Amino acid sequence: MAIITWRFEYKEIWRAMSLSPTLLLSVIIFLPALGALILMIFDKKAVETMRGFALAVTAITFVLTLLLLGHFNPSDPGLQPVFEVTGDELKLVQNYEVQDDGSIALSDRVISAAAIQRGVKLEWIPGWNINYQLAYDGISVPLLLLTSFISVLAMLASWSINKLHKGYLILFLLLETGMLGVFLALDFFLFYVFWEVMLLPMYFLIGIWGGPRREYAAIKFFLYTLAGSVLMLIAILMFYFGSANEALGVAATFDLTELANIGQGNVAAITFSETTQIVAFILLFIGFAIKVPTFPFHTWLPDAHVEAPTPISMILAGVLLKMGGYGIIRIAFPLCPVGAAYAAHTLVAIGAISIIYGAFAALAQTDFKRLVAYSSVSHMGYVLLGIGVWKINESTGAAIGRDYWLMGMNGAMFQMLAHGVSSAGMFFMVGVIYDRVHHRDLNQFGGLAGIMPYYSGLAAGIFFAGLGLPGLCGFIGEVFVVLSAWNFSKLLAIIAAGGVILTAGYILWTLQRVYLGPEYKGPHKDELLSNPFNGREASVAVILLIFAVVLGVYPEIMFGLMRESMASLVESLDAGYQNAVDSAMTIKTTLK
Amino acid sequence: MEDLGKQLSTLLMVAWLLPFFGFCIEVFGGYFKWRLTKTAAYIAVGCIGVGFLCSVVAFMQWGNATDWVVFESHEGEHHVSADHDEAAKSHDEHGAKHDEHAKEHEHGEEHADEHGEKAEGAHDSHGGHAKPAVQTAFSGQIYHLARFGELDISIDYYIDSLTLGMFMMVTLIATCIHVFAIGYMSDELTESYEDHFVHTSDGGHFKRPGRFYRFFSYMSLFCFSMLGLVLAGNIFQVFVFWELVGICSFLLIGFYVERKSASTAANKAFIVNRVGDFGFIIGLMILWTSCGTFRFDNYEDHHGHEQPGLFQMVRGNDGHVTQDGDAVVLKDVHGEPLTDASGSTKTIPYMLLVAAGLGVFCGCVGKSAQFPLQTWLPDAMEGPTPVSALVHSATMVAAGVYLAGRFFPMFLPEVLLTIAYVGCVTLFVAATIAVVATDIKRVLAYSTISQLGYMMLGIGVGGWGAGLFHLITHAFFKSLMFLCSGSVIHGCHHEQEMPKMGGLWKKMPVTAFTMLVGVIAIAGLAIPGTSIAFSGYHSKDAIVATALQFVDDNPVHILLFIVPLVTAGITAFYMFRLWFYTFAGQPRDAHVYEGCHESPSVMCGPLLVLAPFAAWCAIGGEHGKLFSILALSEPASTEVVHASHDIHTAAGSFALVAAILGTLTAYLLYGKTIVDPANIKRQFSGLHTFLVEKWRFDELYDVMFVRPSHVVGKWCAGVDKYIFDEFLHGVVRTGIRVSQWDRKFDEGIIDGLVNLVGNVTFSIGRSLHVFQTGNIRQYVMFIAVGVLMLFALLFAFSFAILA
Repeated sequence: MAIITWRFEYKEIWRAMSLSPTLLLSVIIFLPALGALILMIFDKKAVETMRGFALAVTAITFVLTLLLLGHFNPSDPGLQPVFEVTGDELKLVQNYEVQDDGSIALSDRVISAAAIQRGVKLEWIPGWNINYQLAYDGISVPLLLLTSFISVLAMLASWSINKLHKGYLILFLLLETGMLGVFLALDFFLFYVFWEVMLLPMYFLIGIWGGPRREYAAIKFFLYTLAGSVLMLIAILMFYFGSANEALGVAATFDLTELANIGQGNVAAITFSETTQIVAFILLFIGFAIKVPTFPFHTWLPDAHVEAPTPISMILAGVLLKMGGYGIIRIAFPLCPVGAAYAAHTLVAIGAISIIYGAFAALAQTDFKRLVAYSSVSHMGYVLLGIGVWKINESTGAAIGRDYWLMGMNGAMFQMLAHGVSSAGMFFMVGVIYDRVHHRDLNQFGGLAGIMPYYSGLAAGIFFAGLGLPGLCGFIGEVFVVLSAWNFSKLLAIIAAGGVILTAGYILWTLQRVYLGPEYKGPHKDELLSNPFNGREASVAVILLIFAVVLGVYPEIMFGLMRESMASLVESLDAGYQNAVDSAMTIKTTLK
Repeated sequence: MEDLGKQLSTLLMVAWLLPFFGFCIEVFGGYFKWRLTKTAAYIAVGCIGVGFLCSVVAFMQWGNATDWVVFESHEGEHHVSADHDEAAKSHDEHGAKHDEHAKEHEHGEEHADEHGEKAEGAHDSHGGHAKPAVQTAFSGQIYHLARFGELDISIDYYIDSLTLGMFMMVTLIATCIHVFAIGYMSDELTESYEDHFVHTSDGGHFKRPGRFYRFFSYMSLFCFSMLGLVLAGNIFQVFVFWELVGICSFLLIGFYVERKSASTAANKAFIVNRVGDFGFIIGLMILWTSCGTFRFDNYEDHHGHEQPGLFQMVRGNDGHVTQDGDAVVLKDVHGEPLTDASGSTKTIPYMLLVAAGLGVFCGCVGKSAQFPLQTWLPDAMEGPTPVSALVHSATMVAAGVYLAGRFFPMFLPEVLLTIAYVGCVTLFVAATIAVVATDIKRVLAYSTISQLGYMMLGIGVGGWGAGLFHLITHAFFKSLMFLCSGSVIHGCHHEQEMPKMGGLWKKMPVTAFTMLVGVIAIAGLAIPGTSIAFSGYHSKDAIVATALQFVDDNPVHILLFIVPLVTAGITAFYMFRLWFYTFAGQPRDAHVYEGCHESPSVMCGPLLVLAPFAAWCAIGGEHGKLFSILALSEPASTEVVHASHDIHTAAGSFALVAAILGTLTAYLLYGKTIVDPANIKRQFSGLHTFLVEKWRFDELYDVMFVRPSHVVGKWCAGVDKYIFDEFLHGVVRTGIRVSQWDRKFDEGIIDGLVNLVGNVTFSIGRSLHVFQTGNIRQYVMFIAVGVLMLFALLFAFSFAILA
């Protein structure tokens, strides 16, 4: 009887979830926070219970994002979920239909704004026109999946935390709420709030549970990110006040889609001037570039990684860095296409420099974790490179070889996902060994392949993914981005391609120093022998490696999700810049 | 025909994927407790063996379905080559003829290259009666990787006679080598393998569990990657498997991970290859941006329209490159200029196409260990000998030549000339080093580099068939010789230095005999006046003949003929030197000789299987079956050169004389020992040292690239530490200082002021307390006096104002 009842309830919950993506979005974001609240009532000595509970929360969140994936319609480029207003009720609309030949097509691409509303929108602070507005599309869904996925694995890796467990778990879950919120928020103010929500837990997680220089690292991280936030805040206010037109009675807004429409010149009578766009783009870009991080804003990263505990390094590399890239794709580019076009060359150059500079710096490191951190700088350079390869015909404003730019954009997105998997894996692998021997000096390892063969095999696989070996995730992102770059700039493409040699150099040299050789040369050898690679650790590594292989062999699995959204983004940016050029031409001719 | 394409692709995909499944199982050998059993080896042999059967079945099916057109046409072929000039003149006619064909076969997947070739063969041979063209090449898509707008990247297959030939060669050799390895690696079947080359800190030898299963899992992974490379239907896919064979090579070279030399050699191999791949990527970028596709063959896009592949774009239907000023006009499926959406003709700047060709060739230079990236291959001999036989002689290193052949239509004359010269330099440099090397495997390694140089030279001078012909023959005799050397090393208990051997033919007759077969084959010996010759003679003769034809047409490049001719002599010399040194004469080290024994049958068997192939696979030379199979896939490119009959005869005699001279010298020096080689060594000690130090490339690269990159790395790390971080620290310090000043200001001035006011008020208050007596009368008096004073003041002011 009990089972039947349970099943019944399960079905009910399922139906409720399925029918109401509105609820689902909020649940995804706030479930970890709720978990954190519940954790407060636990006895602080019940460590295993709390860990299990927190793991369950992250796992459920992951399942919920999978449910969201079930709702997601990749053939619709716009934001989702889609509702139609019928009376007072909101009803999910299937705006695609099955054609006679079995293919699925959009039945109506022109969506009337009055009748149909995309996403969740509730009033929050009406006086300032701030809304609780959430939505997802092909750009945010993959990153959302990555976030909840890496969170589960990082939680699995959190068994190595050995003090103040309760506080750690609470902060961890709050951090997850912040991250998920960033990827779902569609209101600029709300985005900013989530952005900041994520910052504080991170500060404490590094500052309390970190290594010997944790205070230094935490403050460095905090100062850098805060500086970025302040710049972003200025840009937010510029957009907000620029979006109002009192004469027409249009109120100022934080709605990212509306702001993007204004930025792309699709709204009559309201525009962001060229100067505004350029200034705002620079502000936003610096804010996001710090997060990515790119040369020369990257020096917080090695310190933060070196001092952060393993699971936090995984989150930091796996998810937090992606917010920078996401911000550039979701906000900086759509809101100021003119600014983006203006800065495209700089962006690509910074990307190429980051790739080479990060790789060279990695080559010189003797701290294992620092090396992996610099490899992140190098790998994230590809993201910037891919986003920026927007070549423009200056007379018409049209993109030259738009498909190559589209490829670069897609490649950049894929690189973020791939790096999320591979770098989280690399940090985890470093953490496993650090937990045992309590040092990270590359010159004091060696022979681990003989002592811990399974661990070493998995580590080699994950490091190969970082190296960009075909068949593993790192290859697709890197090579697609590089291939798309030639169309933009031959020199920068060649520089970026040079990264393949250096990457092979530092990764293989590291593998040689750590895993190969006859004997382990450092301290605590006994712990290596007495403390074998356990099942929990193995499962984290195996899952990451499987994903690295799946993404590497069948990248369409992710490209399929993001294709339409990316195509429509690129199309609208192209059109937006052409609008700007057209209006500039009109003004010139009128003046004549 | 559609069905045949499907059948062939299915069969070859089975052959391709089986080793991968094998790998997936074998790699968990430790988990299955296979450490002491040969299960992993049996699985690996089974997978690759079935792969060989599949390849043969595919070839038979292909042959039957095409009515064995492959063996019929070679007569015509010969006539074409005999009358080269006429063939060239009548090219335009062929083009016209081909167009008619194209109209007839609009719906087929007809490969244009085949067409052109068929037409050519038909025209010349049988008095103009045109044979019905049969489709002999098939291409298609396996699955999608990604699509961006109109750009499309997928995993494809491309099957022609070259693919089939390579498949059969690779799987056959791989099967033999796998079987051989069961014997060679059997000392890994232990829980405690003692590695004599590694010493632990306590002075003893290093001991570890055996890794028999792991060796076979790597081998299976390699076979998968190599076959994928051959099957690839687009250049991007080639690059994918290119990297995968690279990593397999890394894993296999570094198989003895405990040896520092092994892991360093593995790193070197991979990184040097990556240097070549850097160029490869640049080539890919150029092609991708200019042509918008990576496919070799024409294909159907996602709208269902037929689109031209790379070869069609550049070569069109007739093999000509159409130039428009400084640009090359790209062509569509009908050979007409390709137009883009706006109607303008798509072109690619000539120099850019040259750069693309050079870029892709850079990849080949890395993989095939050509000058200047040849340094990794000798070091790669750190791997177990079966690895050297399979990966570093027969297959992977030949992949560079294969790609140069496959991508031949894309190479413009400038690129081909570069290829020829690179090959020419390589074959000479490597041969000279081989003369002085004493490690039996290193001699073979340098000989491999040298022979790969021959292949490159062959392709570079336009001898497409000759280059690939040599690839196949070389694969057989070189893998045979490596296996023989493995047998020697195994028999002599891991002794590789030839000066410690000698007279071994009595102890290991099978090995000595099969080795001799290989040596004769590579030396290119033949009995003059008869058609009795081993395979190496035929293929090297083809290369030298094409080179002579090329030089005949372009006398400036005389070196391209002289150098390979001289090197043919050197080749014969160092190979016979190796044989005499090892097997003939008197034993030089009694200890080694005593312990030496013939290898077990599991190792001798593969030698005996490979020996006939090494000797006779090229039987018939350029009229033989093997050459016909390859020649059928010859691309329609105006750069292809066929040696005329006279030149062929001349070149053949020259090469034979050189080979015989080399052989005689070796016999006199090492067989008969009429002159002690040590004396010669002393006489030319400077040159000898220079050669022993491998022309000092390693030192040069170390100084030029390795150390500088470490220095730059240190700089970058230093910039972070001392510039960016110092800047940040400075900012923070300034901030702290400002706030300290702020605090001082607050405490000293603002607080001081406030305190001053407070203190003054307080002290005034205190000083006033004397008036606070509590006496009412006194207060009344104060009030009264105060009021009076106020009035007085008031009056005083009023008067003052009035006045």
